[in-house]
Amino acid sequence: MAERVKTDIGTAAAALDFDAELMLRVKEGDGASFGVLLEKHRSSVVHFLYRMVQNHAVAEELAQEVFLRVYRSRSTYEPTAKFTTWLFRIATHLALNALRDGKNERLQERLDDDTSERPVRQVSDRRPSVEQFLVYQAKLDEVRRAITALPEKQRAAVLMHKYEEMEYSQIAKVLSCSESAVKSLLFRAYETLRARLAHMA
Amino acid sequence: MNCPLETRENAQLLLDYCTRKLEPESVATLERHIAICGACREFARSQRAVWEALDAWQTAPVSADFDSRLYRRIEGQVSWWDVLLRPFRPPFSTATMWRSLPAAAAACLLLMAGVLLEHRAVAPAPAPNDMAQVDSVQPEQVERTLDAMEMLNEFSHHVRTDSPDSKL
Repeated sequence: MAERVKTDIGTAAAALDFDAELMLRVKEGDGASFGVLLEKHRSSVVHFLYRMVQNHAVAEELAQEVFLRVYRSRSTYEPTAKFTTWLFRIATHLALNALRDGKNERLQERLDDDTSERPVRQVSDRRPSVEQFLVYQAKLDEVRRAITALPEKQRAAVLMHKYEEMEYSQIAKVLSCSESAVKSLLFRAYETLRARLAHMA
Repeated sequence: MNCPLETRENAQLLLDYCTRKLEPESVATLERHIAICGACREFARSQRAVWEALDAWQTAPVSADFDSRLYRRIEGQVSWWDVLLRPFRPPFSTATMWRSLPAAAAACLLLMAGVLLEHRAVAPAPAPNDMAQVDSVQPEQVERTLDAMEMLNEFSHHVRTDSPDSKL
């Protein structure tokens, strides 16, 4: 009976997504499957958290906590939703808490003068001029400030919509709200961003 | 087609169009409307500008030691039971498996030593029944030995009285 239930859950998970199936293997003690999940989602989680808190060190610390929580919850994991929905729900929850705790306050101050966390541009054969680089940095700062100015939930919704290419329904599940609420959040967020960034075209 | 910007619900169509998430059949209809509607054209232009500006925001790569730091934290939280069972489970990586082997071997040795010590401590102690049996056997043996000694005495006495030397 228990075997049949396990098989049924496994089949449902496989139908749902491969990540959920991997997580069920982790639940059964397969550490290698956890490694596969980490490899697959590490970058997207860290980048999402970085864009949320805008501090690379804090983002990585939060991402560690996300994967630690995933690992800790393995014994109680049930594939009731897409794995990424669950993963980003944990990530968003931690990011919102960090923002409310003011963990990244020092970061906001550093936005003015910090360049250490900016990605190194891989342009070995077409090296930009100093002017081009400065224009790029100014553009980047403007984007970062515009995103930072958004209310936290709008920010999370935009980042999941734009960079993770999530559907409205999935964002709704991550943010624990209705699909229409997500559409409304996104509409208002893009309205604000259009007002601030439309001139950059 | 009515202007999508008249209601927020319909304006969502424009947003989906700009983010390329609109169904193909709706795209053609919307594009015909955008061609004649200045407000929608401006909306689409500014939304595309936002989309491209956001595209420019690339992030730094994840630190090379991210995984090792995470596994260290996981290692710090596992129970002894997990450590014992890990060699028999698929590892996170080969390196992790080799790291856990000494711990598992040490745990096995401790377990075996414990079993042996307990066995040694229990084995020499005789059971109470055995003690009672010894107590009940000893008097019979002593009695039989005394009987045997008495018989030998009598026998030697007879031998002495029957010998010629004794008659002299």
